[in-house]
Amino acid sequence: MAEKKNNLTKIRVIVSRGLKATIKGLVFYAIYFFLWMFLAPVSEMVSGLQQTVEVFFMVQIAFTIVEELASGTIFQHIFSASKALFATCYLILSLRIGLFHATFQNINLSIDLSLFFIIAALLSLLGFAKSILQTVNHLSEKAEYTRK
Amino acid sequence: MNVPIKMIDISTTLLWLVLILFLVSAVYSVRDLNFDFGEPQMSLISDNQLLFSLRIGIVNKGFYNIGSFNVTTEISDIDGFVIAQGLTFIDTIKKGENMTAFHNATLDFDDLLQSDRNLLFNDTQLEAAVYASVRIADIIPIGATTNFSIPWGAPFYNFTVGEPTGADFNLTHFQVTIPISFENHAFFDINGNMQVQMYNSANSLTGSGQTAVQVSQHSRYNGSIDFYVLKLDMTRTGRLEVSLLTSLFEYGPLVVPYG
Repeated sequence: MAEKKNNLTKIRVIVSRGLKATIKGLVFYAIYFFLWMFLAPVSEMVSGLQQTVEVFFMVQIAFTIVEELASGTIFQHIFSASKALFATCYLILSLRIGLFHATFQNINLSIDLSLFFIIAALLSLLGFAKSILQTVNHLSEKAEYTRK
Repeated sequence: MNVPIKMIDISTTLLWLVLILFLVSAVYSVRDLNFDFGEPQMSLISDNQLLFSLRIGIVNKGFYNIGSFNVTTEISDIDGFVIAQGLTFIDTIKKGENMTAFHNATLDFDDLLQSDRNLLFNDTQLEAAVYASVRIADIIPIGATTNFSIPWGAPFYNFTVGEPTGADFNLTHFQVTIPISFENHAFFDINGNMQVQMYNSANSLTGSGQTAVQVSQHSRYNGSIDFYVLKLDMTRTGRLEVSLLTSLFEYGPLVVPYG
């Protein structure tokens, strides 16, 4: 009876995690969709912008789903840290894209958004630090629980 | 440790939101920024100077002020030799502001002729390279470059010095007539003198004459210069040295062989 109840709880937890992961993934996709509505005019000017943004959001959504499925375990924080580290590295590598070039008729236009990419990379680094703190916190809580 | 983690989480989220909102509003500010470049104009100012003027209309409908608006122009001849430079700088264009700026570059006519004599006799194109830069919200630099051509009309287009013809004036002298024609394609009138010196085949000055020239823009000149030459000095071949002296510039001598 107790085992049956335990299995039911486990299934409930897995379903709940799956549901949360789906919702988070959808929210992320909605953010991408909303942001892209504003960035679409710019993407016509900058070659490779759409691909760069799509890859970034795809990886972010994948990490978010995996992170949610592994919630409550150490892997949740490992995935979270990986996600933040990926964002930092990706933004740094994309810095060259921060310099937008466009040509209208005879006019060559260039917009330098490198500063934004640097700030975004720093914010991702802050996210990485947060994930490390969460990992340490998780491990210390687990150690305390084991000692008790 | 949960509280600091939560605080970092909240602050990171807020900063991301601010960053994204700022990025979107900045992109839209660029879209709502209009530059209207007028037709480039050339006119005469004092001291042998030509003024190249470009009207720039700026409408800032964006969310932010525009700072450090800077326009630099380089005008060069067809060979790429820079003959004039101009710089216009506006410190701030506030949001919602409409303004018109005039970007000017002055060209010294004498320098212009020094760099290329063909400008006097042949229609050509001057190349203008314009570099403009602004800073949206004082942190996003935007630059634009463009090139365009300015048609240059030669003031002495198709300048032709005809063969000198001599007619008996008296027992010792010929009256020599030298026909001269050209078209003034320039955007200014020509007022001045044209001088001719005639040298025979022994390189001796045989005679000289001058005539006043007044030719309005886009019109043709057909005239002649008359002077007297000793019959003994006159030879079948030789050279004519033509000097052009106008209120704007002096040019010469232009050597034209005859015979």
